[in-house]
Amino acid sequence: MAIWLVADSAAAEIAIVLNSGEGTVSVVDMGARKERSRIPIGKEPHHLMATPDDKHLIVANAVSNNLVFLDPATGQVVKRIEKISDPYQIGYSPDRKYFVSASLRLNQTDIYEAETFNLLKRIPTPKAPSHIAFNAASSLTFITLQHTDQVAAIDLATQQIRWTIKVGPVPAGIWMTPDDRHLLVGLTGADGVEVIDWRKPAVVARIITGKGAHNFLAMGDKRHVLVTNRVENSVAIVDQQSLKVVEKFPVPGGPDCMELTRDGRELWVTSRWKRQLTVVDMASKKIVAQIPVGRSPHGVYFRGHAPRQ
Amino acid sequence: MNDIVAAFAALHGALFENAVLPALFALGLMDFSEPAFDATEFVLIGLIQIGAVYVLLRPLEAWFPAEPWADRKAVRVDVLYTFLHRIGLVPIAVYALLRPLVDGTDEMLRALGYIPPGVEDAIPALHDSPFLTFVVYLLVLDFADYWRHRLQHRWGLWWALHSLHHSQRQLSFWADDRNHLLDDVIEGLWFSAIAFMIGVGPEQFVAAVMLIRFVESLSHGNVRFGFGRWGERLLVSPRFHRTHHAIGVGHEGRRYGCNFATLLPLWDIVFGSANFSYRGMATGITDQLGGRDYGESFLAQQWLGLKRLAGRA
Repeated sequence: MAIWLVADSAAAEIAIVLNSGEGTVSVVDMGARKERSRIPIGKEPHHLMATPDDKHLIVANAVSNNLVFLDPATGQVVKRIEKISDPYQIGYSPDRKYFVSASLRLNQTDIYEAETFNLLKRIPTPKAPSHIAFNAASSLTFITLQHTDQVAAIDLATQQIRWTIKVGPVPAGIWMTPDDRHLLVGLTGADGVEVIDWRKPAVVARIITGKGAHNFLAMGDKRHVLVTNRVENSVAIVDQQSLKVVEKFPVPGGPDCMELTRDGRELWVTSRWKRQLTVVDMASKKIVAQIPVGRSPHGVYFRGHAPRQ
Repeated sequence: MNDIVAAFAALHGALFENAVLPALFALGLMDFSEPAFDATEFVLIGLIQIGAVYVLLRPLEAWFPAEPWADRKAVRVDVLYTFLHRIGLVPIAVYALLRPLVDGTDEMLRALGYIPPGVEDAIPALHDSPFLTFVVYLLVLDFADYWRHRLQHRWGLWWALHSLHHSQRQLSFWADDRNHLLDDVIEGLWFSAIAFMIGVGPEQFVAAVMLIRFVESLSHGNVRFGFGRWGERLLVSPRFHRTHHAIGVGHEGRRYGCNFATLLPLWDIVFGSANFSYRGMATGITDQLGGRDYGESFLAQQWLGLKRLAGRA
């Protein structure tokens, strides 16, 4: 019995949180809702994502200029790839051919060959390239330019900027709808999300979600997407077909990145200003836990997450 | 300790969320929300530091003064300097001025394919130990600061600005921020260049600055104690630094002075500028005895500094 308990404890699901303001990763026991350990990772880890085969978790350390690969089951460091310039936000193209890194501080977007991490092109993208999305065909990557209030589309094959368009103030998160038709752009300097028909390209609608709209996460039903509102301290649920907000609930402390459990029952959100991870029960929309983590928690991930669409 | 950190984090978060962030949003300045979050913390720590240093050093200055004073009028202007620095006005202005320069240089280098290395590239083991990395950064920054300070005394034009700091004849724990604003910009440039070259992360840079400031407040205190024979050689003490400010000693001889170190007297020992023979001398600059005016008010001091720089005062 004791052995079984130990084994069960060791296999407990963990959430991994990037403490961007102190260069650590918090490994959180999801069952106990408690930080299990805090591991040094590098300078300014902001965003993370799983490798396409789901074997590793990639942490992008902006100031350390590297990518750190973690074992997503334990949070232990597996390997590092150095000389990745200022990786703030990262993403794989859907066809897994390209790895894109946005360098927010240095106004550059890097396109790498995904297999080898060989740099194909460093593209000037002023100012403050922030978040990344792709079209389904993997021909274009879309980047929000936070300080010039624009979205740029880069042709992945030629590594040239195809177009830029003006959007509202301080565009941050960017999200491609599952039908590959619209880009949603979180306007952190305004009160909602702009909808871009990227084939035109043109802004075709605006959805009021709340002040400081920032980042997106799919709910896994190919229909709804969550939006954090960093100034209003709320999360909105947007119907991607009707392009309307269907529900909104409070999440304190500057909600930023999110992760939803596979069964859709709990939403885990980094509360950036409060050094906390906030857990919301999605049936009641009530906060069920606030877990202390490190300074300025940003990206969050766990293996048992909802589908990404 | 965890409770203190948690209480501070709650205060920092609440202040930012309820006052700073809504103001940024209303003013259309959300581009700066993340630097503003750090700046809010910097200001809060600065204020806490002022309180802590006052509580610790003001009684010591009253009970064990190195120099007894009839009043503390001359100290008042230094209080203004301290608040201008510690509530962030000067550092934030210097940051705003220099950040585009540093980032622009970095951007240009990377466009050419060069990524500036950090100390972890030379010592990979540091990846796993932020504390050791911090110690390495602190050593490098302190070493660089020793030479910055030494050059402030060696080069006439730089001394024209830095002499403002030395013109305080009632040296107290408030005096460490008494600097010419132009000198602050040069210091910011110096530190930014060093931090850039060794790859100091922003949070470690702030921690290093806070530690250095605390020791500097202590070392400027009007208290007559040191740290003992060996302690004096490990960390800059009020006695050690008071010798640096002493008339006829601190900016004379051995090519313009002694005891330039900020944290570690080691640099003075290694480079032959250490002077452990504290004799309770008066502080100030020799030419003040001949009547040279360095100004009493903040504005007068800043103006006279510019005139000295131009060779007209």
